[in-house]
Amino acid sequence: MKIIINHSSMQPIYEQIVGQMKAQILKGEIKEDTMLPSVRMLAKEQRISALTVKKAYDTLEAEGFITTVHGKGSFVAPTNRQMRLEERRKEVEAAFELAIRKGKSCGMSKEELTDVFQMILEEM
Amino acid sequence: MLKLRNVKKKYKDFELDCSMEVRPGMITGFVGKNGAGKTTTLKAALGLIRPDGGEVELFGKPAAVLGKAGRTRLGVVLADSGFCGYLTIRDLLPSLERMYPKFDRAAFLEKCNRFHLSDNKKIKDFSTGMRQKLHVLFALSHDARLLILDEPTAGMDVLGRDEILDMFREYMEEKEDRAMLVSSHIAGDLESLCDDIYMINDGHIIFHEETDALLGDYALLKMTREQYQKLDKSHVLRFREENYGYSCLTDQKAFYMDNYPDVTVENNGIDTLITMMIRGERV
Repeated sequence: MKIIINHSSMQPIYEQIVGQMKAQILKGEIKEDTMLPSVRMLAKEQRISALTVKKAYDTLEAEGFITTVHGKGSFVAPTNRQMRLEERRKEVEAAFELAIRKGKSCGMSKEELTDVFQMILEEM
Repeated sequence: MLKLRNVKKKYKDFELDCSMEVRPGMITGFVGKNGAGKTTTLKAALGLIRPDGGEVELFGKPAAVLGKAGRTRLGVVLADSGFCGYLTIRDLLPSLERMYPKFDRAAFLEKCNRFHLSDNKKIKDFSTGMRQKLHVLFALSHDARLLILDEPTAGMDVLGRDEILDMFREYMEEKEDRAMLVSSHIAGDLESLCDDIYMINDGHIIFHEETDALLGDYALLKMTREQYQKLDKSHVLRFREENYGYSCLTDQKAFYMDNYPDVTVENNGIDTLITMMIRGERV
C-alpha cells in the first residue's frame, strides 16, 4: 500500500487517503482480504493524527471497500464490477464539475457551456 | 485517562480555571504562549501543586487516591526538573529500577546508545538537547500508560525534535491504550503528532479541537475591504484588519471556497490559528 499525502493540498488529508486507497483496491494493487495497517501505525508512518486515519477507514468501510473486525483489524473487502463502474461515474462527474466551475468563474452562461459540451460530444 | 474539571489555582497576578480530558489511545496537545498556564495545569494534574478548587481524575479515579503503584504508571517530563548533573546514566539505573517496577533497563540503555547518550558521562556535561532526550527516554522507559510531558521538545533543534516526536509515535503504536498529554508553545510541533489540541490563554482554555478538523476545515480567508462587506460572516470565528483589507479565521473553509471563489483561502498551520484566536476580534 502506497500513500503519499500532500500537506499543502486543499483536499482534506482523510480524503486523500480514501482516494488513494480506493484507487489501489479497484486496480487490484491491494488484494482482497489484505490486512490494513492499524490506525495508530498508519498515523505514525504518515505523521498525521490517528483520528484522521480513523475517519478515512470509517469512510472506506461505509462505502464497502474495507471491513473492520473488532479486535482484529481492517481488511480489504471484495470489490465488484458495479463498485468499479460507480467509482468511474463519480470520477467523470467530478471532471464535469471542475470544467463547469471553471466556465462559470470566467462568466460563461449555461447555454454556452451546454454548446461546448455538445460540440465536444459530437467531435468524438 | 486524565480529566480535569474546573481546576482552579490563584496566584498573585494569575488565575487558572481549566477543564480538559485525555482519552485512552489519544495524543492530546496543549498549547499556549509562555505564562499562559500550561505548566501550572500539568503540575495540578500531577498533584505537584494543590489546586484551590475543582477535580482531577486519573485512570478513572480521583487523583488523590492514586497510590504509589498508580503513580508508576505515569511517565513525566517536566520543564524545570531533571536528574542530578553530577551523576552518569549508569549511576541513575539503580534508583530508576527501584522507583519503577516495570523499568526496562536493557531497552533504556539500547535507546540511550541509539541517541548517542554516553552512559558514563556526567549529565551536566550533556548538551541541552541531549539532556532533554534523556528525560524523554526515561519517561518512555517504564511502560507508563499516561505520559504527561511539559515542553518535551524545548530547546531542541529541528532534527532532534523530529527524533523525539518519532519516539512518541512509536510508543503510542506499541500499545493502543496508552495516552499522552504534551505541551508546547510551538504549536507547529504538535500538529503532526497530536489527535486533538487544547489552547490555553491567561489561565483559561479558549479552544479545543481535533487536529484533523484544524488542518482540514480551518483556514485563513484573505480579502479586500469590499469583499469583506459582502461576506456572509456566519462561519467566521475571528477577523483582523490588514493593510490589504481583512483576514478572517473560519472553521468551514469549504463553504467559502464554494461560495466566494474570489476570496483567497489559505491553509494555515496551527500557529497562525492561535495568533488569530488570541489577537483577532470576534465578529
